[in-house]
Amino acid sequence: MSAVHVAGVSKIFNQGTPKQVDALVDVNLTVEPGEFVSLIGPSGCGKSTLLRLIANLLEPTTGEVTVNSKTAAQSRLDQDYGMAFQQAGLFDWRSVAKNIELPLELKGWDKEKRAARAQEMLELVKLPEFADLMPWQLSGGMQQRIAIARALAAHPPLLLMDEPFGALDEMTREYMQGELLRICAETKTTVVFVTHSIPEAVYLSNRVVVMSPRPGRITDVINVNLGETRSEDTRAAENFFSGITSVREALRGTHADHANAGAIRGVEDR
Amino acid sequence: MTSVNRIRNFAIPFLFGVGFLACWEGAVKFFHLKPYFLAAPSKILGQFFNNASRIWDAASVSGMNALVGLVAGTVFGVIMSFILSRFRFLNSLITPLAIALNAVPIFVLVAVLNNMYSITSEIPRRIMVSLVVYFIVLVNVAKGLTQVKTTHLEIMRSYAASDVEILRKVRVPNAVPYLFTALKISAPAAVITSFVSEYFGGSQNGLGSRITSNIANSKNAAAWAYVLGACLLGLAFYIVSVVLENVASRGAGATNTTNK
Repeated sequence: MSAVHVAGVSKIFNQGTPKQVDALVDVNLTVEPGEFVSLIGPSGCGKSTLLRLIANLLEPTTGEVTVNSKTAAQSRLDQDYGMAFQQAGLFDWRSVAKNIELPLELKGWDKEKRAARAQEMLELVKLPEFADLMPWQLSGGMQQRIAIARALAAHPPLLLMDEPFGALDEMTREYMQGELLRICAETKTTVVFVTHSIPEAVYLSNRVVVMSPRPGRITDVINVNLGETRSEDTRAAENFFSGITSVREALRGTHADHANAGAIRGVEDR
Repeated sequence: MTSVNRIRNFAIPFLFGVGFLACWEGAVKFFHLKPYFLAAPSKILGQFFNNASRIWDAASVSGMNALVGLVAGTVFGVIMSFILSRFRFLNSLITPLAIALNAVPIFVLVAVLNNMYSITSEIPRRIMVSLVVYFIVLVNVAKGLTQVKTTHLEIMRSYAASDVEILRKVRVPNAVPYLFTALKISAPAAVITSFVSEYFGGSQNGLGSRITSNIANSKNAAAWAYVLGACLLGLAFYIVSVVLENVASRGAGATNTTNK
């Protein structure tokens, strides 16, 4: 049973009008349970669209999206996934704990169970003493950790993330990457992660899915072998750099002078 | 803020006000200005205390009109903003009308309303106040209900939240600060509309009509005393709206409005 299965999916916005955009064309992707998969590509390549199709925030024009062996729509209704965005998207009028409790409230959990789970999640993201603060009292990195805690509060098997660390400074960003890997290992969560940072994609992922624009499609899938546990030393490791090089070459496509890069797509790409 | 700063913040405007009144008083004395041209502050204050009970009565009439109109306008404005935010096509019909009506001094409508009710009725004035308040509240609260962050909506949809749950947990809390902004704008507007609508006939019992009748009788100092009453009433409405906002935002814990 795969965690996510995308089969022959296309997404066309404004079909049949002069503003028609072929956001995604014939995309196939399978994510196994426990896997960490990044989607990377230049803006307009449809990586965020693909994530929203998996989340059932958008409907595909053609093709099928299956999440946990159910239709994407059913998975959304069952809250089988949690989601985090570039903006933490915390609700200003709710305390930190109440923000984390929101998905549980919508599931109809009672008050004590919600409070207990919120505290558990706060400990998971290492901010246990912040429950009663308001979101604006937290730094950007802390807000993003609360957003992850909220996304995982209902213990969903799948976490969908859209450039969650894009607005953070480099130091915070690397720290958050480490934290995310630790949290996902502890909770055995499958992750689909949209980013436009090559080192971030390589550091976090088991596989990096490389996409290209006009029309948006998957051009390459790079396997990353950094072992089970990653540390700060990983960032200096030989295979980390070779992973970065592979992804970079795949992204450059035919623009690269390297011998084998770009051979995949031939001349149709300018 | 240190206490020295607080004293300074209070003392400087206070001293300026006292100085201004002293200049005014001095100018009247020095140039022997006639009372029908400009009354001295001491005379005005004397008139204010002499007529205190009459000013109070007039202020209660105008104040009650402003209050009833403010409450009614707010209630209808909030109800209508919910309907508008639910049915977007109504929004495109009503919003241009609201903007157009806000652009003209609509309190002249009270002259028309006066013809619809008996001459001693306070209802036309109250309707007028509530109309002015209604549009301010409508436009602001509708904005608060509809201008919700995309991320918030996507998060709620990812939780499979229904429209009603999104309304309760996102749109309504988002609109609360907009409601208090609307109240802060409409509280003084309600008082002003209440005064001005007395200029168009009807009972001569409010502050607005007392000001005009005293001027008509060349009782300049008395007119100014009623103006002073009008200032205090407007100030009272404004202060109450600010206090309400502070209480509400403290209740929500959102004392910080700058990071919106």
